[in-house]
Amino acid sequence: MRAFLAGARVQLRFMTAYPDSLIPFFTAPLFTIVFMLVFKHAGRQDLTAYAAIAPVFIALWWLALFNSGWTITTERWNGTLEMLVAAPSSFGAVIFGRIAATTVVGTVSFFEAWLVARLIFGEKVTIHHWGAFVLTVFATLAAMAGTAVAMAALFVLARNAVTFSNSASYPFYVLGGILVPVSLLPHWVRPLSAVVFLSWSADLLRGTLDAAPIHNFWPHLGMVVLLGACGYAVGLAALRVILVRVRGSGEISTT
Amino acid sequence: MVWYSVVSGANDYWSIFTAKSWVFGWLIRVVSQVTFFALIGTLLQSDEQTNFLLVGNAVMVAGMGATFALHQPTSERGNGTLSLLIASPSRPVVVMLARGLYVVADAIWSALLGLAIVGPAFGLDLPMPRALLVIPLTALVGVSAYCFSTFLAGVIIAHRNINNLVVNTTIVALMALCGVNVPVSFFPDWLERIAELLPITDGLEAIRGVLAGDSWSSIAAHVGGEVLAASGWLALALLTFGRFIRAGQRDGSLEFAS
Repeated sequence: MRAFLAGARVQLRFMTAYPDSLIPFFTAPLFTIVFMLVFKHAGRQDLTAYAAIAPVFIALWWLALFNSGWTITTERWNGTLEMLVAAPSSFGAVIFGRIAATTVVGTVSFFEAWLVARLIFGEKVTIHHWGAFVLTVFATLAAMAGTAVAMAALFVLARNAVTFSNSASYPFYVLGGILVPVSLLPHWVRPLSAVVFLSWSADLLRGTLDAAPIHNFWPHLGMVVLLGACGYAVGLAALRVILVRVRGSGEISTT
Repeated sequence: MVWYSVVSGANDYWSIFTAKSWVFGWLIRVVSQVTFFALIGTLLQSDEQTNFLLVGNAVMVAGMGATFALHQPTSERGNGTLSLLIASPSRPVVVMLARGLYVVADAIWSALLGLAIVGPAFGLDLPMPRALLVIPLTALVGVSAYCFSTFLAGVIIAHRNINNLVVNTTIVALMALCGVNVPVSFFPDWLERIAELLPITDGLEAIRGVLAGDSWSSIAAHVGGEVLAASGWLALALLTFGRFIRAGQRDGSLEFAS
């Protein structure tokens, strides 16, 4: 736990020192404006919840891709990976602490998006199912952190990690149905969407902002948790591979 | 000097992408980005909105790619070559402009591919031969955005730590303001005037006019507006870039030692 908290503290210091890590908090309000403008122009203010939810997913996904995903790689670049691996505390706990801190900070975008909807467009976002909302947010953050652990580990192993992180935004926004529900995508795309946790959690979050009852809440929440856990398991397995490989070859900083 | 800069930029480009990573990385992202916004039209159950969003966001790819040129001066700094460039007798802004031409070419090509691939999937009508005019007009939008981003590059050259922040916020701000997702006539008057000063706005209007079969005089007026905007931002970049560099030299913020 101490290693986890130490990792979280270090990450918060990084985030305050590097303005680039705050990018999603500048773009989330702008994306909210873009989506709200489109819906207002179309006379569809009933879709305000959609416009307020999508920028949050964009912010969280960005943080996972560009911040959390590069956690181990930046340790290598900074020359601190050797010390981290040699330390008696758990390597995984420190990395997960850093990623969890980033993910939790990402929730600020909730307030930003909803504030923009309220102050600029005069639209109120109402949470109709508080319990479901809180559970979905927790499950989403956990799944996002789990997926980010997988990215952080795989980015070290993959040769084209930079290309992947630069390219993996919009494909996942479409597949994850973060703005337009998956039910409106072509049938052949839906099986792909089903394995992206964003699709389950975006549907649930929109549902919590709708007065109508939420259908199949628990199975959908279970899918968010399951897919997040799969990401985490893949990440842990990849971390083990990395540690075994770099300890064996002595090429910690250069692999 | 311009030729060597272009060649050097082209070499940069091929060290960033392989054909495989361009197609399976970048192109998929471009197609997804245009699809993401076009799908909003599906959500709104409006073919008109779908076409508006599709065309706007496909052309925006040219503007977005050109805005990535903002990374160039800071990467020169990161590579330690900015000091050599400034010490040379050439004008840094001309070298920067020429070196980044590959960024604009890639952006324009990506935008056109996005339109050509996603357009038919959503039933967008591309009337021939008129639609061929979209090619030079998209090029104009890309160049115009490039002039704008070169000006911004000068402004932030001494602040490398906010480079990515400026790139990303600029792109989304342009998406919001330049008539990409809603017509600028939907804005209050004062905001519409600001939007008209920015790159993309008029060029995109011209492209929409070409596809909708508007009169040539109306299209020409928008083309004129975009050329004017591009010239204005280029003039501003040429006038100010050197000043920003000299200011950085005076206060040491260009990090010559790095």
